[in-house]
Amino acid sequence: MAPGPSGTATGVTVSIARDPALVRTVRLVAAAVARRTGRDEDFVEEVRLAVGEACALLLGDDTDPLREPVTVAISIEDGLAVDVVSVGTVDTEDPPHSDIDGVEPWALLRGLIEDFTVLQDGATTTVSMSWPAA
Amino acid sequence: MDLSLETRHEDGHTIIEVGGEIDVYTAPRLRDKITELVGEGHYNLVIDMEKVDFLDSTGLGVLVGGLKKVRAHNGSMRLICNQERLLKIFRITGLAKVFAIHGSQADALAEH
Repeated sequence: MAPGPSGTATGVTVSIARDPALVRTVRLVAAAVARRTGRDEDFVEEVRLAVGEACALLLGDDTDPLREPVTVAISIEDGLAVDVVSVGTVDTEDPPHSDIDGVEPWALLRGLIEDFTVLQDGATTTVSMSWPAA
Repeated sequence: MDLSLETRHEDGHTIIEVGGEIDVYTAPRLRDKITELVGEGHYNLVIDMEKVDFLDSTGLGVLVGGLKKVRAHNGSMRLICNQERLLKIFRITGLAKVFAIHGSQADALAEH
């Protein structure tokens, strides 16, 4: 999985059912891939937190396991890039609701990562995050 | 690691020792525990987070919700946290100014 001699991108893609219990699995995968970059544990922890956070936010209140899964694609090429994709739209501005009571739900991601975008394209929402190479 | 919650009462405070991961899956259990304690009339809570491995914004939301609950009864919620990776999360979200965060149970219980 590490970048090969030709420097081609490598990575992992995981799809999970819309079950909050599975977000931890994604975090573990994200941390494992982040470690492959050779960077320190602070970096690994940041990636673990960010990917789990993005996943949880895209799951939102809709945790029907029969609905489309949330897909997390993590790639290593000149740094680390992560796309978290979910069918459906999420509100990225309005005040929080449900379990997130009094915390602006996207504040943590915005504060954590410089290169962070949310793209709402029709029926799909993609959270993209990237970290430069060390 | 799953969430663990151990509760005890000391010096007029109720201490909840939290261990493991507070995330979108486990945070409702912490919320339920806080709700239960407040419902029983325990309004001065100390949340010991020294054994917490992970905290996301759902967990933060539960803590903020708990703070609102105890304040509604003129109570208090103090946090115990020495872990830099968790303190960073409180700082990023601006909640380091909202919560009283202490370095030890002795410090948390000493402050009135």
